Amino acid sequence: MFKFQDFDGKIVALRPEMTTPIARIITTKMFSMPKPLRLFYICNVFRYGQSHFEKMREFRQAGVELIGSNTPEADGEAISLFISCLKTLGLKSVRVDLAHAGLLKQLLKDTNLSEENMSLFRRLLATRNMEQLESLMNKFSISSQIRELFLQLSNCKKPESLAAIAKNSTKFEKLHDFLNNLLEIRDVLNEYKIGDSVFFDFSLTRGIEYYTGVVFEASVPNMGLSLGGGGRYDNLIEKFGGLKVPAIGFALGVEKCLLALNTQGFVLPKSSECKILIASKNRKAAMEAVNLLRNGRITCLLNPENSNEDPIRYAKLCGINYVIFVESSIESPLIVYDVESDSKKRTKIEDFIESLGAALRI
Amino acid sequence: MSRKIRIAVPSKGRLRDPCIRALENIGLNLRGESRSYIAEVSDPRFEVIYTRTFDVPLCVHYGAVDLGMAGYDLILERQVEVYELLDLGFGKCRLVVAVPEESEIRSIESISVMPRVATEYPNLSRKHFGSLGKQAEILAIRGTAELAPRLGLAEMIVDITETGETLRRNGLRVIDTILESSCRLICNKIAYRVFENEINELVVKLKNKRS
Repeated sequence: MFKFQDFDGKIVALRPEMTTPIARIITTKMFSMPKPLRLFYICNVFRYGQSHFEKMREFRQAGVELIGSNTPEADGEAISLFISCLKTLGLKSVRVDLAHAGLLKQLLKDTNLSEENMSLFRRLLATRNMEQLESLMNKFSISSQIRELFLQLSNCKKPESLAAIAKNSTKFEKLHDFLNNLLEIRDVLNEYKIGDSVFFDFSLTRGIEYYTGVVFEASVPNMGLSLGGGGRYDNLIEKFGGLKVPAIGFALGVEKCLLALNTQGFVLPKSSECKILIASKNRKAAMEAVNLLRNGRITCLLNPENSNEDPIRYAKLCGINYVIFVESSIESPLIVYDVESDSKKRTKIEDFIESLGAALRI
Repeated sequence: MSRKIRIAVPSKGRLRDPCIRALENIGLNLRGESRSYIAEVSDPRFEVIYTRTFDVPLCVHYGAVDLGMAGYDLILERQVEVYELLDLGFGKCRLVVAVPEESEIRSIESISVMPRVATEYPNLSRKHFGSLGKQAEILAIRGTAELAPRLGLAEMIVDITETGETLRRNGLRVIDTILESSCRLICNKIAYRVFENEINELVVKLKNKRS
């Protein structure tokens, strides 16, 4: 995090993400709003430090929060919106992997390992180092029941298969509840008809502490980084003032989505706005032309009188469509240079504006 | 998926030949000139990309390649988030702190003046000295760190060693081990989802043929 002192000596920081600031606002400014509350944001966030390998220090996130509901329907709504956002952007083969933040925590608790070994365990799972994981389980003689659950969860790829695992885990009450919660969410997603895009990935941890329930992450093939993710955080908001409110949300990395669109061959459409450059040695006449065009709501720039830059070269570099050469007056016909067709013609300014209007109407 | 699964292999250095041998042991024979960057493989589902050793973890992290063979030391140094699917068992080495034979320094704890440390591993070095509460000026260099003390560029170096022979020949003495390393098969997290079956098959084969 970027942290510094302001002039009063108070410590301030640049937001590394939006969910925590929103949680604060919910308790301090929006507590009387009817719930559930649905919020969205498109914001710049700032990150500093080692954990974020993609060294962009400022980037944009687009996200939503659904606050005040903890049903599987709320989870389903968030995940379904997540997928439809990505599809609406134009991305193909979008896939969402989900897991439950409580599953791993609970399973680790049941192993009775020390804090230090638990974090080693977490690292080995996050890097899918199954061999060392197994030897660690041998070393600390983890019970065969937990080992089996561990292996089954690691190998499970579709939420459907969780049903069988849930059946075997009735002894571990909490674990059983978490699995059933995922199965309920799976049912909602099937009713949204997006079950095919949803997978299960036990090693998914998202590296965020405040998640309490389902967590998820989106990806597309041929792009090695995830596009964004989210999860349920039922205990975060109360930390800012005692108001206990469950919530779920997600954020998409805007730059990552653009990169993904790029890898899928998507080309951003060109701006349809028409831009004009006025070039003249006569300031008075040039200003008359500028005023006339601007009054007609046409975007135009004035090339400075003493500029040595060739106005045609400048227009090409800046994506300007037409260059109008004004002589001593705009009453007489002017030379209009069309950048796209690389041609000049002599015309009256009123006729040109009218032809532009016709062109713009198409 | 229509495209081939890309495996990054170091283009030079001590790991290059064992990596190629490991692939050939499981029937992935490399075709193509030794100078080109991409090699066709006898199994048409895969292709091999020769990459600078230091860049293998980076390529895997960003998904420029799906799989890579890289030392554990470099996986940590480049601070990447990748799956470490298998310890390939070869390329064993240690990342050590070494000083000239004649130096008074016996251990990091006994350092009194802030030393200059020449290394190709600036991140791991900074972390190690920091964890021992010692300040050090880390000089990130490329290539032979062994030379730095003799040139007067640095008082000590952090580098990898297999047998200690190169260090001894350069008149250097090991005072501390930062970590033990070996060559790993690493995988991009998204690629693992897309090519899971093929990748798991490869892991099992490599594991069975591991010496």
